[in-house]
Amino acid sequence: MVDPRVARFSWPIAAFAAMVAIVMATGAVLFARKMGFDGGHVRAFYLGAEATFAPPRSLAGLLEVAIPHLLAVPLLLFVTLHLVAFAFGARRRPFALLAGITWGCAAVGIGAGFVIRFAWPWLAPLKVAAFVGLEATMLAWLLLLAAAVLPPARRESRSGGLTASGAARSRAAR
Amino acid sequence: MRFLVQPHPAALDRARPPVRAFLAFSVLLLVGWAASRAAHGALTPDGLARILEPSPGERFGPLALWEEVHQGAFLYGFLLLTLGSLLVVSPVAPGLRNALIGVATAAALVDLLAPFLPVVRPGFPGWAALRIGAFALAMVALLAAVVLAWANFGREGRRTGG
Repeated sequence: MVDPRVARFSWPIAAFAAMVAIVMATGAVLFARKMGFDGGHVRAFYLGAEATFAPPRSLAGLLEVAIPHLLAVPLLLFVTLHLVAFAFGARRRPFALLAGITWGCAAVGIGAGFVIRFAWPWLAPLKVAAFVGLEATMLAWLLLLAAAVLPPARRESRSGGLTASGAARSRAAR
Repeated sequence: MRFLVQPHPAALDRARPPVRAFLAFSVLLLVGWAASRAAHGALTPDGLARILEPSPGERFGPLALWEEVHQGAFLYGFLLLTLGSLLVVSPVAPGLRNALIGVATAAALVDLLAPFLPVVRPGFPGWAALRIGAFALAMVALLAAVVLAWANFGREGRRTGG
């Protein structure tokens, strides 16, 4: 069940979820178009490729991408997870597990570019895995957010296994 | 978050100054955003077409389009969530509040997605004007939300519920 206090915030939360969905979808397209989803392409993106005359990425270029993401991604995750926890009174272990995967994927995704470029290029598949993991877990969080703002009759059957029982939520609210 | 879900008078009084500071920065963001688009020529149909219309053979549109939508959705998302939540805990009529957030969200979606029309259907007429109009509407709705939140957040009337 959803915390009844969420109902008043349905419109802003729905708008936020729609915009985050667009952020994640466009992020996936940008990843696919700039790097691609196989290790070889990711390596070529960071290390350069003679065949395409692509130069290796500079430290300044990597930082230019990483720094805005170091603010935006944690902020996005923090708010999204906060809203899901507020709406459902999340069960401790499944919530923490999925949140941990999300945070881990985000950290690896941002940091892997530097590691691939300057230390271990063979870690390129890890960058792809982290990105896919982040997208997949964010999809799960967004579905939970959507379930929180759906009309009550349809919501009952859609709330997921991460969510606490009504009694547990009542305890949390107290 | 506490002052949003448990709007006690003392908490609201303490929250008002930082909320107003945030609202002032929101206005700066909206003005800056519009100025940035103007500076890039993105507030005229010709300028917008030059920046975002796909070149022949560019099946998925220019990368600049995807990057702009990526960043724009992030800004819209946080503005809609924060301003909408502040209006929820202010003494503003629910109908007006929902209409404002609904119009801002719809206009933002059109602003973000209209440039994909010529990608999906090359030569689609009027997409640039549609985007400019939607951006203007989104800005006006968000500015109105800022003004309403500035004037009403923490006022006595709201403290009875929402």
